Amino acid sequence: MWGVLVVNIILSIMGYSVILNIVPKFKDMFVKAHLSGVDLNKKNKPELPEATGVITSCIFLIVMFIFIPFPFSKHFFNKEWGFPHQEFVQFMAALLSICCMVLLGFADDVLNLKWRHKLLLPTVASLPLLMVYYTNFNSTTIIIPKPLRFFLGHDLDLSALYYVYMGMLAVFCTNAINIYAGVNGLEVGQSVVIGASLILFNVIELNGDCWANHLFSLYFMIPFFFTSFALYNLNKYPARVFVGDTFCYFSGMTVAVVAILGHFSKTALLFFIPQIANFIFSLPQLFHILPCPRHRLPRLNQDTGCLDPSVFPFKEKSLNSLGRLVLKVYQMLGLIKVERTDKEKELSTGTNCTLINLALKLVGPTHEKNLAAYLLALQVVCSMLAFVIRYPLASLFYDC
Amino acid sequence: MWGVLVVNIILSIMGYSVILNIVPKFKDMFVKAHLSGVDLNKKNKPELPEATGVITSCIFLIVMFIFIPFPFSKHFFNKEWGFPHQEFVQFMAALLSICCMVLLGFADDVLNLKWRHKLLLPTVASLPLLMVYYTNFNSTTIIIPKPLRFLLGHDLDLSALYYVYMGMLAVFCTNAINIYAGVNGLEVGQSVVIAASLILFNVIELNGDCWANHLFSLYFMIPFFFTSFALYHLNKYPARVFVGDTFCYFSGMTVAVVAILGHFSKTALLFFIPQIANFIFSLPQLFHILPCPRHRLPRLNQDTGCLDPSVFPFKEKSLNSLGRLVLKVYQMLGLIKVERTDKDKELSTGTNCTLINLALKLVGPTHEKNLAAYLLALQYVGIRHKVSVGEFVLRLLKFLKTLLNSSKIHGISGKVLSL
Repeated sequence: MWGVLVVNIILSIMGYSVILNIVPKFKDMFVKAHLSGVDLNKKNKPELPEATGVITSCIFLIVMFIFIPFPFSKHFFNKEWGFPHQEFVQFMAALLSICCMVLLGFADDVLNLKWRHKLLLPTVASLPLLMVYYTNFNSTTIIIPKPLRFFLGHDLDLSALYYVYMGMLAVFCTNAINIYAGVNGLEVGQSVVIGASLILFNVIELNGDCWANHLFSLYFMIPFFFTSFALYNLNKYPARVFVGDTFCYFSGMTVAVVAILGHFSKTALLFFIPQIANFIFSLPQLFHILPCPRHRLPRLNQDTGCLDPSVFPFKEKSLNSLGRLVLKVYQMLGLIKVERTDKEKELSTGTNCTLINLALKLVGPTHEKNLAAYLLALQVVCSMLAFVIRYPLASLFYDC
Repeated sequence: MWGVLVVNIILSIMGYSVILNIVPKFKDMFVKAHLSGVDLNKKNKPELPEATGVITSCIFLIVMFIFIPFPFSKHFFNKEWGFPHQEFVQFMAALLSICCMVLLGFADDVLNLKWRHKLLLPTVASLPLLMVYYTNFNSTTIIIPKPLRFLLGHDLDLSALYYVYMGMLAVFCTNAINIYAGVNGLEVGQSVVIAASLILFNVIELNGDCWANHLFSLYFMIPFFFTSFALYHLNKYPARVFVGDTFCYFSGMTVAVVAILGHFSKTALLFFIPQIANFIFSLPQLFHILPCPRHRLPRLNQDTGCLDPSVFPFKEKSLNSLGRLVLKVYQMLGLIKVERTDKDKELSTGTNCTLINLALKLVGPTHEKNLAAYLLALQYVGIRHKVSVGEFVLRLLKFLKTLLNSSKIHGISGKVLSL
């Protein structure tokens, strides 16, 4: 087992150096193919290559392809257990889902598909996973947390709903990372922190009952961590490349895949606390209860060189009653700041409902580099909180 | 078995209608994303969406994803044989290779990668196949054809070379289809004919020893046929879409995958006779022994509305001795036509070394629609010739063998490497 993990780590580190090496060389090719974006928060507004997440994803896939024989070749696995057929098929299904997601994600970056497609694509890409799950296990029973057992019993068979849950997990992870973005290094950085947290969790659980699931997860998370970390070095402030939706899709799907096949999706979601908070906070804008501009990333203040929260303009009269209610609640909780810009025309502005803008509202105008550092620190703190919830508190909820 | 095949056919037909339905709707999106090409052989030179092969490939993948439980769900497979673990893993590895190839192929169409990348990408995409093959079988012994047995013995273990061969098969199939192109409907059309032939071959072999391999191949070839056929309707003369390198990669890899896992790669290559001929004919230009222009597709004659062979300009003095030799041999065999365009400057032109230009040279200027029809008929004839001469004899022998061995139990693991 350790020999196989060492091979995995070595291949991952090789992937890391390859990515650092080749991504800058592709810069011109991407810009020429019209895959580029303007860094709006820099004074000179440079044009950077977009969707470089596709290169990272391909290197990840190549690392995994080369790794295939090692866990499953006769020389390495423990013959007492018999050949791990189900794991082999799961391994291939996981890679197929990730590969398909990268393909669809890259097509999205190239073709600029609509938002409803962003919900459909991860569902399609998770089909292999669901199909193999159905063929291999078809176990759709979940254990009810202790406080709810009084209502629902010890366990509950969700049957088809379990598949909906698995499908939704992929959709959620990919899009939650995608909307928690807009500052150099944030998408990749959050993925790196989540990857590291999952690795730590898996290593701890290697001593537990379900060690095989966690070993399986490590086979994916270690290369994921190293390849994402390489891209982080290129995307952090000041960014030299943009990662594109491709990276968010790749990232979300890889995490969803190990969470589903490792049977620890609830724990994995604990590591997504900032993403979940950002998502819930954003809901009124995502559902157009409040106006939602095209970009909600913070704005650069040309004079100070720092970032201010971005705003959405609105007329109080044009909001429906739900919109007015949400606006009031958010104002009361101090989550957004509403200002009247023009009394006669009754125009107002409200800060956009993202965690990034909220952080800027609480901390004040901040330089982009520091803002990214604060948000990643928040991610790390939330991961530590997740460990606290999972371990000492878990026995309150489950028998393990 | 038949129930599973029926499900496969139904899903494939659904994929066919979905493709016919949605590809036209993507036209504006593709053109806006700068994925478009000019149809050089039309008078008005329309701009058509390029790389629509990615849509076909995705529909193919979705059909295959939905199909996954059917061959392997407990309700369908024969419990006497035990669960077909190896086939399940092979199935997933095959899909992974195809999916990876489509990803890399689409990236090639978008980023316009260099030619050396076109050789690297299929090798990378066939890695899952090779790795699973190594993990599952690692059988690298081939049976030597009888005429050579006195030299090489009955069988020969190629070991690492076998993996090189499998990797090269993917590279060859994808690029051979890619360079045999330039006329509306040719890339997709040739793929459709090859697929139909492989399906026929697989169906015939279902009665043989290695029926499991051929059933496996059918699971891929039937959806491949229907999805490609749908795209053919949109790409044939007059084309409404271009399929892009993405389709050639997808097509070549799917065929290579079933050929490798079904252990009938040599037979599969027999269905590639026009592609092989075109490739060998093109070699001097591909290796730049003779000058190779960017495009070698036939040219439109604006007056007649028909296609003429395209040419490459050259100076006899600037060719090396090998180039002059090749030029002379090709001229002697009547494969190309060399004309002197300017005596003072010693400029000449030679028709480009592709099967398409050769066909035009032999048949004379032809309308694009008819040229495509002739070339697809050639593809079909190449197969019929093989079927009518070689295969008939082989089939007869196999039928006799089956009669003699009728008491043998057909095992799932009948993975003998044979024709």
